[in-house]
Amino acid sequence: MITFDRVSRWYGQVIGLNDVSCEIPTGLTALLGVNGAGKSTLMRLVTGQLRPTTGSVRVMGMEPFANPEVYKILGYCPDIDSFYEYMSGRRFVRLLGRMAGYSQSEANDRTEQMLQRVGMADRAHKPIAGYSKGMRQRIKLAQAMIHDPKIILLDEPLNGLDPLGRREFIDLLAELADEGRSIIVSSHILYEVEQMTKSILLLHRGRLLATGDLRVIRSLIDKHPHQIRIETQDPRRAAPLFAAMPNVVSLTFTLEPNVLELQAKDPDSFYDRLAGLVLDESLPLYRVSSPDNNLESVFRYLVGP
Amino acid sequence: MFAFLFTSALKDFARARRIIPWIIVLVGVGAIGVAWKSLDTSRAMDEVYGELSSVLLFRILALCSAIFTTAIVSQEVEQKTISYLLTRPIKRRDLLLARYAAACVVVFGLGIFGAISLSIGVYGSNFASNPILMRDVMGMAFGTAAYGAVFLLVSLFINRAMLVCLLYAFGWETAIPNMPGELYYTSIFSYTQAIAQHPSAPGGNALLGLLSGEMGINTLSKSTAMTGLAVFSVLCCALAAWWFTQFEYVPREDAE
Repeated sequence: MITFDRVSRWYGQVIGLNDVSCEIPTGLTALLGVNGAGKSTLMRLVTGQLRPTTGSVRVMGMEPFANPEVYKILGYCPDIDSFYEYMSGRRFVRLLGRMAGYSQSEANDRTEQMLQRVGMADRAHKPIAGYSKGMRQRIKLAQAMIHDPKIILLDEPLNGLDPLGRREFIDLLAELADEGRSIIVSSHILYEVEQMTKSILLLHRGRLLATGDLRVIRSLIDKHPHQIRIETQDPRRAAPLFAAMPNVVSLTFTLEPNVLELQAKDPDSFYDRLAGLVLDESLPLYRVSSPDNNLESVFRYLVGP
Repeated sequence: MFAFLFTSALKDFARARRIIPWIIVLVGVGAIGVAWKSLDTSRAMDEVYGELSSVLLFRILALCSAIFTTAIVSQEVEQKTISYLLTRPIKRRDLLLARYAAACVVVFGLGIFGAISLSIGVYGSNFASNPILMRDVMGMAFGTAAYGAVFLLVSLFINRAMLVCLLYAFGWETAIPNMPGELYYTSIFSYTQAIAQHPSAPGGNALLGLLSGEMGINTLSKSTAMTGLAVFSVLCCALAAWWFTQFEYVPREDAE
């Protein structure tokens, strides 16, 4: 759906995005990076607000800069908390619906549907100036969805939402992705991203460090063997058995009773052998977990401390 | 779509909060007309009206135009709402020109209100008998389009264009018409005055003469002035539309 081909973007002497090439498919993709990593630059390139300095960006095969055809299929929820404050949320969404080409009555209907969907139908008559951060985020999402776009870009959409609001928002994004849309969500909060999707685009200092499924990315990081935590009834008996496995590179007795921590390469192969070991040796295991098989660890390994 | 963009921009520009201060100022111009006429009874009403119109109304027109037309893009960039507008399936050219047209309508409407207000102030209940009124309205129509177009263009070229526009409206437009030679061709004010054809006021106040550009020579005919401003406005608008389509406009203080 969206293709980056060796895209760089400079702001004078400062580089915002550095030689990025990738394809963003349908479904929910998280754009991940610390502040200043280039997330907003990437979003603005996709939304055609900026032009790449070098390389090319294509959205469904079209060049996005100032291209109304692209904006028919693209919805954008900016990170900036700016509105026409004197307007009500309803009027704001309807205005942008009308700008998307709907007639007055169509825009009214679509506005009501979107406000319902983001949970603002009963509160959208008040001026935006009096809205909480969470209400503003909902209105921004409503305006991004008003024209039923195939691609929706959301820049830090969970900022300012309360826990319940976040949950609802994440569920809504999953719904939108299930409808076959491309949803790109930028965030610097790993925990939130992990709840949303396993498909990530990881940016750091303008460079694309990794792209794809989180687990696949993790498995490709050979430098850091996978940590596996095992709770067993008899760690002393289990330890030599694990140590004899070819994938295990280290083994540690922890201070917690009955807990072993292993480091293993090729975790899929390890888990296959583990099943056989448990059956053959009648080794009772209470729990197996992988504490670094998560976004935070991937982020830490790729970006560094 | 152009009609919708125009009407929505018109509603925005014509909001009470924006318009009322101008209406108060223009009612004040009418009050100045009343005071002037009562203080200087020796001069004809046409002369008083013409002088006050040149000194006040056409200056206010330029100021008003600077404020409204720089808001078309600069204000959206400053308040960071430009992202919403530029990510809609609308041609940037249409967006810009519709908003320009709406701003011009509001400025021109205020100009007419000011002309009527001053006319009432000077002529009283016979304000409709003011022979200059229609010529003033005509001058304001062309002046609004020209000022709007040039300020729009400036606001696309440079950040925080208001200062430059105000310098042009009050510095350039005051100084240039009084200068010797043919520099007055570069002043919109000279053209609007050629259209309005205010009666000259020999023996009037020197400062007011300076402010109304009467120290210099203005040989522009009405038709030349109208054609000149029309062509200038179209060229500026065309250049502005092209520029806005080619270059980036993103919320300020936000580049990573």
